[in-house]
Amino acid sequence: MKKSKRRLVIVYAGLFIFYAFLLLPIVWLVLSSFRNTDSIQSGRLLPYPSELTLTNYVEAFRIANLTTFLVNSFIIAITVMLLVVFIASLGAYALSRFRLRGKNIFMMLALMPQFFPYVLILIPFYVLMSNIGLVDSHLGLILTHTSITLPFALWMLTGYFAAIPRDLDQAALIDGCSRLGVLFRIIYPIAIPGMVVAGFFAFVVSWGDYLFVSILSQSPETQTLPIGLQTFMSSLQVRWGLITAGTVIAIVPTIVFFAIVQRRLVAGLTAGAVK
Amino acid sequence: MRAREQEAGSFTQDRKRNLAARWKSFGQASFGYILLAPALIIILGLNLYPTISGVLTAFTNQSLLDPFNWAFVGFANFQKLFGDPVFRISLVHSLVLTGLAVSLQVVLGLILAHLLIEQVPGIQFFRSIGMIAWVLPIIASVVMFRFITLPNYGFINILLNDLGVGHLARNWFGDEKYAFVLILIMHLWRNVPFYAISFMAAMQAIPSDLYEAARIDGASNWRQFYHVTLPNLRYIILVMVVLHVTFTFNNFDFVYLSTGGGPVNSTEVLPTFIYKQAWNGYELGYASAGGVLMLIVLVVLALGCRKFIGGFSEE
Repeated sequence: MKKSKRRLVIVYAGLFIFYAFLLLPIVWLVLSSFRNTDSIQSGRLLPYPSELTLTNYVEAFRIANLTTFLVNSFIIAITVMLLVVFIASLGAYALSRFRLRGKNIFMMLALMPQFFPYVLILIPFYVLMSNIGLVDSHLGLILTHTSITLPFALWMLTGYFAAIPRDLDQAALIDGCSRLGVLFRIIYPIAIPGMVVAGFFAFVVSWGDYLFVSILSQSPETQTLPIGLQTFMSSLQVRWGLITAGTVIAIVPTIVFFAIVQRRLVAGLTAGAVK
Repeated sequence: MRAREQEAGSFTQDRKRNLAARWKSFGQASFGYILLAPALIIILGLNLYPTISGVLTAFTNQSLLDPFNWAFVGFANFQKLFGDPVFRISLVHSLVLTGLAVSLQVVLGLILAHLLIEQVPGIQFFRSIGMIAWVLPIIASVVMFRFITLPNYGFINILLNDLGVGHLARNWFGDEKYAFVLILIMHLWRNVPFYAISFMAAMQAIPSDLYEAARIDGASNWRQFYHVTLPNLRYIILVMVVLHVTFTFNNFDFVYLSTGGGPVNSTEVLPTFIYKQAWNGYELGYASAGGVLMLIVLVVLALGCRKFIGGFSEE
């Protein structure tokens, strides 16, 4: 009894250390985004209630092109998410259900890009995109983010689909369901948890990408939030109230999405590797 | 499967039917290729082609100023790289950062996994929010860390002042000694919970009779960890290590967005070095050569990890 109590204290103390470190930057950011400038610069850890304000959020939208960045980020990340899940699910269905020549070679080829340095790929990507006139366009960024997230999504979903019993497809085929019908009516409903994780992965990568957008996007019409925040950070030097408010706005969508998929995330992310 | 067996059986019985079945199976396979086509086109066209093209660019003098006018220059770019002191220091920083980050992540991940696996009240909350840092855009993490380390009103310096050790306060990211440590800390902050939760999931799958048997044999907690837990985690450790060696070694955003490689190159890593050669120095060929060397180092590192962890676990 006494021993288990001591154990409890050790576990909570350990968790407290890890989670204080994990949550401190986030809590400090969110708290500061509601403080006025004087309060942030006061050198006090906690604000007085009278110093709390929503001005930073109002100003962040008014001063910076926050709305444009948000809209661009949403257009690109959501399209990438849908495109990646759709294309990967077709490919995963083919790889898990059809006898295809060169399947193993293809699976290896599909895994290799995970190791390629993005700074290297970016150079031919830029040349390619300028050849086909897609520099500084939503479509160019959508294609780019789709191509960098597809290999992993394909791997993950192939593992996921392979675990679904084939008897289900056979039964549906005998009942007169078409091959494509099997995918949409039998496999999709069962594989939804895996597809949501694959989609979440694509969304998070696209939403957070700075490297590719910084080169392939050249005007505010196509720039996404990470570029916006970086410009914010370098141009508004001392106005940390605005910077923190902008950052909170940028992280809310990923956190909401994360809250939905959280329980399946780790199983999904490592499933592709384990298969 | 079943269709294939039937197809095989019909071979001896009825050649005509066999032919029809083969035609049908060919039809099915080609439908499979059609389904795979979009993924195939994207992976071949937008992943493998750019990489091969990048490798070839490394042997040219292609410039961003006139990208369609270039010539092969053999190994000139590579020779120039080895003579470039900033490249050498970036390579060292990249290797040190990757080595330190990944080994600390494994150790801290194992410790946190042992805490998260305890069935204490409220543990579900800790498990569920663990991955939060991993999902945030890296620019957001950088803003957070720059903000808590601000010289005048960052959390760390305010706290140091309040604790009466204000002389320790400094401009953390602007300090040659601490900027690199902060980059390392940001990598740990983002990824340690991911390790912990994956390790915990794998630990839950270890049969409890293995531990019981070890206990009957009089094994201490430490020996149980070394002889039961660790061998059973070897596969997930390998997966996480290879994944994060790649991530850390290739990561551009943390350094570029927080310090830009400074102060005085003290945080310069290969990705930021290469990016600057290409997009600020306009030397696409030279930058590609750096990228090719990165790729080679990475393959060697990944194979090394595999060998080390594979061999280690067999003892």
